[in-house]
Amino acid sequence: MSYVPGQPVTAVVQRVEIHKLRQGENLILGFSIGGGIDQDPSQNPFSEDKTDKGIYVTRVSEGGPAEIAGLQIGDKIMQVNGWDMTMVTHDQARKRLTKRSEEVVRLLVTRQSLQKAVQQSMLS
Amino acid sequence: MRGSRLTIWDYFSHSSFQPPFLWPKRSTASTVPSLAHYFAQDTELQRKLDHEIRMREGACKLLAACSQREQALEATKSLLVCNSRILNYMGELQRRKEAQVLKKTGRRPSDSGPPTERSPCRGQICISDLRIPLMWKDTEYFKNKGDLHRWAVFLLLQIGEHIQDTEMILVDRTLTDISFQNNVLFAEAGPDFELRLELYGACVEEEGALAGAPKRLATKLSSSLGRSSGRRVRASLETAGGSGSSPILLPTPAVGGPRYHLLAHTTLTLAAVQDGFRTHDLTLATPEESPAWLPLYGSMCCRLVAQPLCMTQPTASGTLRVQQAGEPRDWVQVHGVLKGTNLFCYRQPEDTDTGDEPLFTIAINKETQVRAGELDQAASWPFTLSISNRYGEEEVTHTLQAESRGALQSWMEALWQLFFDMSQWKQCCDEIMKIETPAPRKPPQVLAKQGSLYHEMAIEPLDDIAAVTDILAQREGARLETPPPWLAVFTDQPALPGPCSPASVAPAPARIHSLPWGRPRTFSLDAVPSDHSPGASRLVAPLPLQRSPRSRGLCSKGPPHTWLQSPV
Repeated sequence: MSYVPGQPVTAVVQRVEIHKLRQGENLILGFSIGGGIDQDPSQNPFSEDKTDKGIYVTRVSEGGPAEIAGLQIGDKIMQVNGWDMTMVTHDQARKRLTKRSEEVVRLLVTRQSLQKAVQQSMLS
Repeated sequence: MRGSRLTIWDYFSHSSFQPPFLWPKRSTASTVPSLAHYFAQDTELQRKLDHEIRMREGACKLLAACSQREQALEATKSLLVCNSRILNYMGELQRRKEAQVLKKTGRRPSDSGPPTERSPCRGQICISDLRIPLMWKDTEYFKNKGDLHRWAVFLLLQIGEHIQDTEMILVDRTLTDISFQNNVLFAEAGPDFELRLELYGACVEEEGALAGAPKRLATKLSSSLGRSSGRRVRASLETAGGSGSSPILLPTPAVGGPRYHLLAHTTLTLAAVQDGFRTHDLTLATPEESPAWLPLYGSMCCRLVAQPLCMTQPTASGTLRVQQAGEPRDWVQVHGVLKGTNLFCYRQPEDTDTGDEPLFTIAINKETQVRAGELDQAASWPFTLSISNRYGEEEVTHTLQAESRGALQSWMEALWQLFFDMSQWKQCCDEIMKIETPAPRKPPQVLAKQGSLYHEMAIEPLDDIAAVTDILAQREGARLETPPPWLAVFTDQPALPGPCSPASVAPAPARIHSLPWGRPRTFSLDAVPSDHSPGASRLVAPLPLQRSPRSRGLCSKGPPHTWLQSPV
């Protein structure tokens, strides 16, 4: 999932539709994110390329809406409801996921196992 | 400052060369302050004001004498900072005078409130690792193809009446962020502080085609008059009192000199304080048509920490007796010191200095319960203080005995003050946030150290290798530990201290006397902006200096140290 700055990014993505769960006053999705263009990418345990400043899923709570929808730990989030997540700050990413007016978020995520699966199916 | 918020630019354009008594018509105060007001009271503030006025005069003279654009930029920046400080101090003086007058003339209705109000302790605020990302577009390349547009930017930071500035940085499209290496410290701030940040920028190149006709004419006139007569014209303008003369010769700070525009601003408060790197939004202030417009991404990253005094200084100390578990008669005499969120109990008062470990420590935080009591039985020290903390399921109570009612009162008072401070300073009282003391600020280096040797000097034909090695030695060696020699021209000036010193131009002038072959004539305006001096204050985590200054791509020069995770 490495990229060259200035060139368009190509990735195999999976659509994940998460229905937020209402907990009191809040709508939660049940996972945690890490990363952002204002963060230190070398501390990211999930990324293949240690200069990748994208948003990654660092934790998925058991039984939460994200796990039910099929989100996995280590996924890189590319888009949320059409908004790009590859070039945002950490706070912007969090805000885009936690908009109170949206009950459903549709994510495009990519993970290494996806890439490998597609490559293998192309070879065979 | 209350009243109309004059930005520094407003002041600048209206009153560049007027002596301070003839204050501009627009003023933050309702009346034009007269000379008499200055000598009223507040000698400390007065002293600071006088100092700034002197600095301002020096900066004006310097600006008039500048021939290089970079020198003019530095001098203009110093002038801007002095002006804003002067405005600030004047406003503060006026406010204090008004408060005094009101007190004398009679009681205000609000005076009949409670006599003593608890006020939170002061603290130190430090902002560091300032980084503003830029967003260059393709159009930037097409607009300039070939020549490198450069901007000079600096930040002005203000809390209350204290204004500080960062160094001036040259920015061009090879930079992905504007990174300031400064560590700006404000002492004596309250928890309700408002830290206002203003980013100012100016074009390094002359704003030729964009200026209006009168200015162009004025530039032509003054340059055609020649330097000395131009200076005389300017001096006569000064004495005449600026604004009365015809508009065609009304100068901007220096005729044809650089103009700083406010590019963006933001205000940070206690909520933004965190022991880590955070991003904040900037309010952009210049439209795209303005000559100094920079493609700012719209946010700013920084590390804003606060150290309230209650966390770093002991707030109370004295002798106490601590009851051992359960037994009211079995006690131990200790010397207690209340500091931060702990009550340290030392065996003897001397132990605090020797650095010995305390006998034990009682934690005091927002959830701690404190009760004063008095023992009925004929105990030698009947006045008790019990401190309870809840650890998970269990509640731990320590009972302490004070030697007298007065001592108990003062302990309770200190504890109440601590609780109040903790409620005001909020997250700053969870743990002491580290503040690095900044290394003594070196004069900012306007021209890059890394530049082609060929660009940086013009060698006379009869020079020898000694001249070249001399220049090389200067480039590598000590940078401007002595003030530049042209400063000696203004012999009536007191020595200009560090922060406002109209600093460097280039390495060469520092040893201008000793060079037999004369002053190099050309300075490269094409120099690549360098990575800042490795000797400058290194902050919480060292920045990787092995990166080449030309590193393109998204890896910025000042990488953040955190990788935050947030639940959503």
